[in-house]
Amino acid sequence: MRLLKLGAVATTAALVFTACSSSPTPAPSGGGGGGGGSVQEVKIGVDLPLSGGELPNGGPTLNGVKLAVQQISVPGYHVTVEAEDDAVNGVHDPTQGSKNISTLVNDPAVFAVVGPFNSNVAQAEIPVSNAAGLIQCSPANTNPGLTKGADGAALRKTNPTKIAYVRVATTDDIQGQAGADIAYNVVGAKTAYVVDDTETYGKGLADVFDSSFKALGGTIVAHDGAGKNVTDYTSLLTAAAAKNPQYVYFGGVTSTGGGLLRKQMVAQGMGNIPFGGGDGISDGSAATASSFLNLAGPQGDLNTYSTVAAIHDIPNPDAFKAAYKAAFSTDPGSYSASAYACTQIFLDALKAVGSNREAVRAFVTTTAHKYDTVLGSISFDANGDTSQHIISYYKFDPTTKDWAFFKQKDFGTAG
Amino acid sequence: MDFGLLLQQTINALTIGAIYALIALGYTMVYGIIELINFAHGDVFMTGSFVTMWLLTTLGFQGTIKDPLTLAGVLALAFLVAMTVMGAVGVIIERFAYRPLRNAPRLAPLITAIGVSFILQNIVQSIWGPSPVSVPQIIDVQASFRVGGTPIRFLSIFIIVLAIALMVALQLFVGRTRLGRAMRSTAIDREAAQLMGVDINTTIALTFFIGSALAGAAGVVQGLYLGNTVFTAGFQAGLKAFTAAVLGGIGNTTGAALGGFVIGFIEVGSTYLGYTRWSEAVVFTILILVLVFRPTGLLGQQLAERA
Amino acid sequence: MIGKASPPAANPLRRTLRAIRDLASRLPQRHQSLTVIVGMAFVTAILPLVVLAPPLNGFGRQNDWLDGFANAGVFVLLAMGLNVVVGLAGLLDLGYAAFFAIGAYTYAYGASPFSGLDVPFWPMLLVGAAVAMVFGLLLGAPTLRLRGDYLAIVTLGFGEIVPVVFLNADTYTRGTNGISGVYQPVLPIVGNFGFGNPMPYYLTMAAIIAVAMILLYRLQDSRLGRAWMAIREDELAAASMGINTVTTKLLAFAIGASTSGLGGVFYASKLSVVSPDQFGFVISFTVLAMVVLGGMGNIWGVAVGAFVIYELQSQGLKQLNSFFGGLGLPPFHLGPLTVDLTSINFLEYQFLLYGLALVGMMLLRPEGLFPSRRRRAELRDEADAGAANEELVQA
Repeated sequence: MRLLKLGAVATTAALVFTACSSSPTPAPSGGGGGGGGSVQEVKIGVDLPLSGGELPNGGPTLNGVKLAVQQISVPGYHVTVEAEDDAVNGVHDPTQGSKNISTLVNDPAVFAVVGPFNSNVAQAEIPVSNAAGLIQCSPANTNPGLTKGADGAALRKTNPTKIAYVRVATTDDIQGQAGADIAYNVVGAKTAYVVDDTETYGKGLADVFDSSFKALGGTIVAHDGAGKNVTDYTSLLTAAAAKNPQYVYFGGVTSTGGGLLRKQMVAQGMGNIPFGGGDGISDGSAATASSFLNLAGPQGDLNTYSTVAAIHDIPNPDAFKAAYKAAFSTDPGSYSASAYACTQIFLDALKAVGSNREAVRAFVTTTAHKYDTVLGSISFDANGDTSQHIISYYKFDPTTKDWAFFKQKDFGTAG
Repeated sequence: MDFGLLLQQTINALTIGAIYALIALGYTMVYGIIELINFAHGDVFMTGSFVTMWLLTTLGFQGTIKDPLTLAGVLALAFLVAMTVMGAVGVIIERFAYRPLRNAPRLAPLITAIGVSFILQNIVQSIWGPSPVSVPQIIDVQASFRVGGTPIRFLSIFIIVLAIALMVALQLFVGRTRLGRAMRSTAIDREAAQLMGVDINTTIALTFFIGSALAGAAGVVQGLYLGNTVFTAGFQAGLKAFTAAVLGGIGNTTGAALGGFVIGFIEVGSTYLGYTRWSEAVVFTILILVLVFRPTGLLGQQLAERA
Repeated sequence: MIGKASPPAANPLRRTLRAIRDLASRLPQRHQSLTVIVGMAFVTAILPLVVLAPPLNGFGRQNDWLDGFANAGVFVLLAMGLNVVVGLAGLLDLGYAAFFAIGAYTYAYGASPFSGLDVPFWPMLLVGAAVAMVFGLLLGAPTLRLRGDYLAIVTLGFGEIVPVVFLNADTYTRGTNGISGVYQPVLPIVGNFGFGNPMPYYLTMAAIIAVAMILLYRLQDSRLGRAWMAIREDELAAASMGINTVTTKLLAFAIGASTSGLGGVFYASKLSVVSPDQFGFVISFTVLAMVVLGGMGNIWGVAVGAFVIYELQSQGLKQLNSFFGGLGLPPFHLGPLTVDLTSINFLEYQFLLYGLALVGMMLLRPEGLFPSRRRRAELRDEADAGAANEELVQA
């Protein structure tokens, strides 16, 4: 029941905002649907890292999909979730991702796929789903090269005009700008030190931060790379401290060193320098084992900022949170709502055009279509990127020992 | 100002070098006595850091201990537990994985060692998970004194002094005691030593105990210094420590200690010059170059080459 | 000497196994190539049918299986190549993944939008193998004079350096993003190898393995092969018999590297993306485990070992996952990090199993599951050999 209320609220909100848009989505028919007649079994495939240290990322995201499937029913269809794990030995793995997407492609009941979570997995998956014409919606991929420019074109070479990959997360070129916006405008720093983890996501994000911060008028005192094998940041920080940065930005995720870096900054007497990162460090409160805040330690988490490449003020956050909590007994993760939105879009398509893969793909990627999702109104551009360019800003709150949302900014059509 | 930075980086290099040196000693001792590259040694070090983490959290410590007496007591306990446990683990590994293969072709124990390394990693991973975990830093990480305006952390000094003390103790043990003499003679000629009444099995087990205990000590130090550990930490550290042992001249304990500090300086140096991204490649390139051009290392091997 | 006379086996199973082993080893060397071709053709033909039968058909569709088989083929190739180095010549190479990476990047340079080149897949197979071989020679020439265990550590270091170089030389390698959109093979008549259609990959892989196997068997039985085994068993003796040990070892290294490069080319063309993080120590270690478990020195044993291990890790452990997953119990009921049975990932224990298998194998059966006879004789120490002889005497 809660689900229906949520859906209705979201729809109403969206209709108010986009009153004159030609929404192809029929208003949700009241009631539980699927009364009589034959019910077709269809599946939404999911590919996420679901084991090891990345379970805290993939698990809540998968739950978002499950919640949507539980809540939204499509008459004539029985939708189940088929989840594949792309983590091998605790780390997301492109080869495993490629194999998973092939498995999902080969399952005729799968009409759409939510995932993946990581950009390098997406690189291996997009060519496969593109060739098969199976629509994929990533809740979390933020690397610009997956969709934009020559890189994006290279990935969808088989069917260049038939986009089969869309994403509801805003790309790193915008998230990096947001990081620079926090550093320069919110904190007021004029100089910054940048460290990246040498991986696809981390380095991409750090590079954009680097250029955006300079564009705003700031100075980057140094930009170092330290891979996940690096555990001792002492000498890096000693060198950086000598250059007196007013801000430190980390491009990477917690498991590649975010928490350690912040912790060792405190040890170096740099604990009062504001610290920022992207959604890779926005992974739960200090009570969550192995989260950024947990590893950064009792003093290391002060004055710390992070961004999430998604809207925070979703049209009805309390309803979503309550529904999620009722189903899974925990608060939603950073990308639970995004995964829910992906699933909503797929279910909209299923309702409108049935379970034929090509029909669903064509429906979802039609740029004129707008979807009323839990994230608000979303449409996709010609590359499959979301029209919603909103970044949420978070700051560590020492009383709750958790990230506190303080602002969200719409970067419009920039980038 | 530049001098201050140089001084600080020197301390950083010595601190991390001390950790590498402690691990390198175990490699070099084991290689010296049974000519085995004990690939599992890095993971003994890693396991030691987890044992420290487990001990301190079980005792309920979360952060800095202010009272100096308590601090000294807890520190002594941490080193005692980690060194004893890891020493015992080393002996067990030797007994079950290496001793049965002592007369097998050299490839066999080498492969076993790699197997043991993965077993240790996975045991730790299944107990404590694959993500990095916090280690309580019971010594105040920020406390420092100033040398000409440059802050020097007590923690670093403690680590360097402790490592050097352990190395000196090891030298004295190997050089001055009866057991040390047994170790040296076993390394030079196992059969002759046996004929002279040395219990070979006990001596080799003792070598593993000491080497692994030193790695355990390095594990404690790493936890105190970085405040963090992860189940994969042993692989890279082990590889670098082995490089240190080779650099110093494998089988040579003084050389291993020296090599550890040299690796520390190479790493910090590449950061200092702005080449952090390449520091791993630099260390391993040096390893290859040393092996190719001066396989006996900086100080030369103390061992007779056995065919 | 132990193998020739079949000792009376304690049970019929052992006797049958021994008989099969003897039969396989007694196949006339003259017809070895033919045997490989017929054998590979048979296996290639039957595998797609086997997976249609229960219980295998319950675990995945035929296409899933074939896709997995093609991936497994890459590891079969790698294991056969490493077997030359470790099994035949007795050199421990722990950086084998580096040559795999070099092969994969070579193909990515030859056929991707990044370089703008579009060299066909088939010549690139040879180019990839050749480039990897050159790097094998470059690394081997100065280092193969070292003692065996130093070589292990040098190759381990090399295996660490290569990904770092691919990662950081981003102007030339696109750094951490890797090179994506790598072209797929084109066959003159059949056309493109599609993503959804694993059959062409499967057949191509089978053909590559067959060719590699024939060449490796011929090498093993050649003068060079005998020189490798002589070095493995006693380098000093081999040298005094007039074998140029450095050149001989170098050739083993180069051939191992080129086989790895071959695997890399195929891998890159199938996955269509190469990035530095795909070629870590884990690959080197996995392949080594395959060689050791399969039976060092035995070409077909290593191939079968690699195939079985790959399938176990990619299918077997997964089935355990879905078995427990199928029991229900939604995760996260006890807080975000409480792991219940459903979410235990048996794939995580893959390396624990490898580790245990390596140690157990070395202690109990150092010759591997499918031993080569000569290797078996060598790896069993004197006590065992004595026991075996006693067994013979009692017979």
